[in-house]
Amino acid sequence: MSATDMQAKKNREGSGASAQIQRVGRFLSGMIMPNIGAFIAWGLITAMFIGTGWVPSEKFVLLVDPMILYLLPLLIGYTGGRMVYGQRGAVIGAIATVGVVVGSDVPMFLGAMAMGPFAAWCLKQVEKLWADKIKPGFEMLVDNFSIGILGAGLAMFGQWLIGPVVSKLVEWAGNGVDVLVENNLLPLASIIVEPAKVLFLNNAINHGVFTPLGAQEVLEDGKSLLFMIESNPGPGLGILVAFMLFGPRMLKAAAPSAIIIHFFGGIHEVYFPFVLAKPKMIIAAIAGGMTGVLTGTLFNGGLVSAPSPGSIFAYFTFTPPGGHVVMLLQVILAAAVSFAVASFLLGFGREAKRENEAEEGASETTAVPA
Amino acid sequence: MPTINGSDVKRVVVACDAGMGSSVMVASTLRSKLKKHGVEVIHTPVDEIPADASVVVCHQGLASRAQATAPNAVVVPFAVFMGDPAFAKVENAIVQGQDLES
Repeated sequence: MSATDMQAKKNREGSGASAQIQRVGRFLSGMIMPNIGAFIAWGLITAMFIGTGWVPSEKFVLLVDPMILYLLPLLIGYTGGRMVYGQRGAVIGAIATVGVVVGSDVPMFLGAMAMGPFAAWCLKQVEKLWADKIKPGFEMLVDNFSIGILGAGLAMFGQWLIGPVVSKLVEWAGNGVDVLVENNLLPLASIIVEPAKVLFLNNAINHGVFTPLGAQEVLEDGKSLLFMIESNPGPGLGILVAFMLFGPRMLKAAAPSAIIIHFFGGIHEVYFPFVLAKPKMIIAAIAGGMTGVLTGTLFNGGLVSAPSPGSIFAYFTFTPPGGHVVMLLQVILAAAVSFAVASFLLGFGREAKRENEAEEGASETTAVPA
Repeated sequence: MPTINGSDVKRVVVACDAGMGSSVMVASTLRSKLKKHGVEVIHTPVDEIPADASVVVCHQGLASRAQATAPNAVVVPFAVFMGDPAFAKVENAIVQGQDLES
């Protein structure tokens, strides 16, 4: 049994606190990720047509507010409902989400992420009461009116209570982020974000936390740095380049194609195994991530929408006019710092040499097709 | 422990957290290798692996969730996204009719 198999076995049998956290994170990001296309459409329109955009337009700017205030939260509430109770859950999720959206002037993503699944769960519980007790021929009547009546009630409940409460919470969260930004403390986020990322919590953190908060900032400032904390391809790039030059043989061979997929394709998952294989590399990721965020806070960087996937192309697309120098600095400095730290941790190739020699001595070697 | 013979594999499920990024990439490379052997390759989020899945390929960090979602499937974990021996293992098992097990 190879080391990989043993590691896998351990992972599978470990009760998995990390699996539990991944699952919660998956639930949050699972409401956002299927709708990323809509975020991109909104981001493109915003980047082009708002007052500070590329080609300001009084006509098309009218699309911006309804898309972020209504379309995106409704899609999130719909998707959240569907995750709990299929198509019927999706419908009641969207109905209930209208309640939290109406009367709010901040994007109600968090409200939608709470209300959509909650409404679907309510429907599921209520329908259990009369499951299998409906007289033949009355199913459709009961099904439609149960969604209609419960949905109407939940929409009113959302407007009356949940909307104002979530508005307040989002305001506090936004203020908290402002305090971090003003005191240059936002880079500390990387200490949590980078390790969580390589444990496959990348989507949970980015789309569960930063995308909702960032979208709110965009409405106020036209851009948000929060979109760039998790998604910056710089730290991963630095680590991969370090492995390409100084890594042990197997990882060295895989690094070049990983660089292309990571940096241009935006699939950051391809560099996680490199960090997991040498966990001390997380220090390089944190140092790079902090550098990127710090550069952004010092020079007022930010993107207009969530760059997903975190590809350099998405970064160019969503950088507001005049922001490209800072954006490139954030990526390049992050990559440079993580490369320097990672190279140091790899002993500039000395460690790999030792390992290769040890490997040649061992009886079990695995051929790896590049 | 679930076991399956490679010659009985008709479909391979590649799973990742969101079912939109890395699993799509791995699925497309695997598909190009397995298509000529009449094996379909699909990709899904790890929590939505179909109940009838017989072989699941996913990163080792997600293997416990994959096995929990699909207790009867053979879960083949891999460590790196490109050129991992696990991909060759699945391909060889299918081509040569060897047994695969979780």
